[in-house]
Amino acid sequence: MVASLLYACANTNSIARVHPEAVKGLPNCTECHSDSWGALNHKATDFYARHKFYASSKAACASCHQESFCADCHAHKEEIKPSDKYKDAVERNLPHRGDYLSQHKIDGKINPASCVKCHGRQNNEGCIRCHR
Amino acid sequence: MKINQTIKWYAIPGTMITAGCIATACSLLAGAPARAETSVFGQSDTIFRMGRSLDNKDLYPVYEYLRFSVVSADKDGSATSLNVGGWARGDLADKTARDRYTDADVQYGFISYQGAKNNLLVNAGRQFVTEGVAAQRLDGLYVRSDFAAGFGAAAYVGSPVVTEPTLKADDFIFGGRVTHSLYKYYTLGVSALKSFDDNSAVYREEEGFDLWVHPLKQVNITGRSAYNSVTNGWMEHAYAVSYAPLDSLRIGADYSYTSYKDYFYRVTTSALTLSTPGLNGNIDEQEKVKTFGGSVDYTPIKNLTLAADFKNYNYDVASAANYFGGKATYSLPDSFAAGFSIHRMDGNTDKLNFLEYRVFASKKISHLDLALDFIDVSYDSRINGVRNVYTVVGAASYEFNQKLKVGADVDYSKNPDFDNEVKGLVKLTYAFDTKRAAEGGSK
Repeated sequence: MVASLLYACANTNSIARVHPEAVKGLPNCTECHSDSWGALNHKATDFYARHKFYASSKAACASCHQESFCADCHAHKEEIKPSDKYKDAVERNLPHRGDYLSQHKIDGKINPASCVKCHGRQNNEGCIRCHR
Repeated sequence: MKINQTIKWYAIPGTMITAGCIATACSLLAGAPARAETSVFGQSDTIFRMGRSLDNKDLYPVYEYLRFSVVSADKDGSATSLNVGGWARGDLADKTARDRYTDADVQYGFISYQGAKNNLLVNAGRQFVTEGVAAQRLDGLYVRSDFAAGFGAAAYVGSPVVTEPTLKADDFIFGGRVTHSLYKYYTLGVSALKSFDDNSAVYREEEGFDLWVHPLKQVNITGRSAYNSVTNGWMEHAYAVSYAPLDSLRIGADYSYTSYKDYFYRVTTSALTLSTPGLNGNIDEQEKVKTFGGSVDYTPIKNLTLAADFKNYNYDVASAANYFGGKATYSLPDSFAAGFSIHRMDGNTDKLNFLEYRVFASKKISHLDLALDFIDVSYDSRINGVRNVYTVVGAASYEFNQKLKVGADVDYSKNPDFDNEVKGLVKLTYAFDTKRAAEGGSK
């Protein structure tokens, strides 16, 4: 009953389910948004590293992105790395471009924590080919 | 700690839960109010890959990626939807993965209700939950809503969707996040999760704090700390701040701390297990890393962005390393993009001394899209017998109409494993929908 009352009192408008303007390419949200949503500028150098913070406001992401957009990288089982699936999307920040078989040995030493979100408990069956 | 055995409903296979949710969704959608507008979005990507494995197997897999959403949107702004995505693979030559000629997976499958008010969201089925300490795919239930006085809350419960190549994972998880927001200034959150293995023993127990603060239009601060109550230690702190004194200039800085003992305590692959007295893993449990980074983005003219970035890695055990460089990008939306980047890694081992270059371009000519990408890593000394590793990619696609597109790409690599590696991919994309653009279908 308390929860119902608090819910009734909130009376906020939900984030738009569909972004009112079609967005093409990597958007610079500051071109239209002068409020906090401007922080989602996808062209910013550190947006890729910071998107984990904004993902807690998933309704905002869902205005433009479908669920499959997250699943391309944060997958349960995936056999094609995102940068192979979308090789024509050269402007996007897709992980593991180029010869990642060699590079993963370096990234794994520099910052192995960066592997965990996608490969710690899922999408890691390929590791066993070498890591037994 | 033991919990009551009666909660073992989660032993129901995830596929059955997903199937149940889909059946329920179909019933809900069929019974949607007549004044609701129903739209369908769907896309099929058929992908044929050509390549060769390290052990000289011919790999010719064909993949079918299928995703669709059925959305029944009411005039008041609320909506009920069914969202499903998955893939299947068949091999035309040798086995590609998991020692199987065929394989498939449901990536997500859930019904969703979005309220017109209070950001109410109810999802049931296989979904990806991101709430504070949780970034978890699960078969289960998720609910969130705004409440009075700026408070909001989210809760989830279900069975984690995991793969277990080496080690067992958890079977049951629940958690939540409470936030307080002052829309123009901040969102602060506290979150927690707890999970259990199939013996009902605690598998994960994490608590966290997160923030998104924007006190001025020009300043944006984000961050998160996560505490591990099983190992009794901080797993990570990660904070970032940006300042944009001009529309054309943005300066960013970030800090992170990760304690390997607390961060890597639950993984299912031996590639990421801790090296402890009883376990010969790759991750040194004594290691802690602090990173300090910075970036500057400058847009001197519209569509041109010049950027510089820097990151310092400071370890308790290993030697420090620095990564720094720059990037220039010129981009006209949906028409042309070109860029160049160069980065230098400076460390105390041979593998951590290299230069990394990338040059890319894409151009749209009527219905034809062309793309070129060149990635080069030049080591200071030979690594696995080679000093220079590079990949060249050429891609082209033709859009027959808004629904049908055919594309192909070829990449050529020289790397420690292959003197000359050639791989190819052909992709046929077909969109079947009633309102594609209106449902975010372009991404």
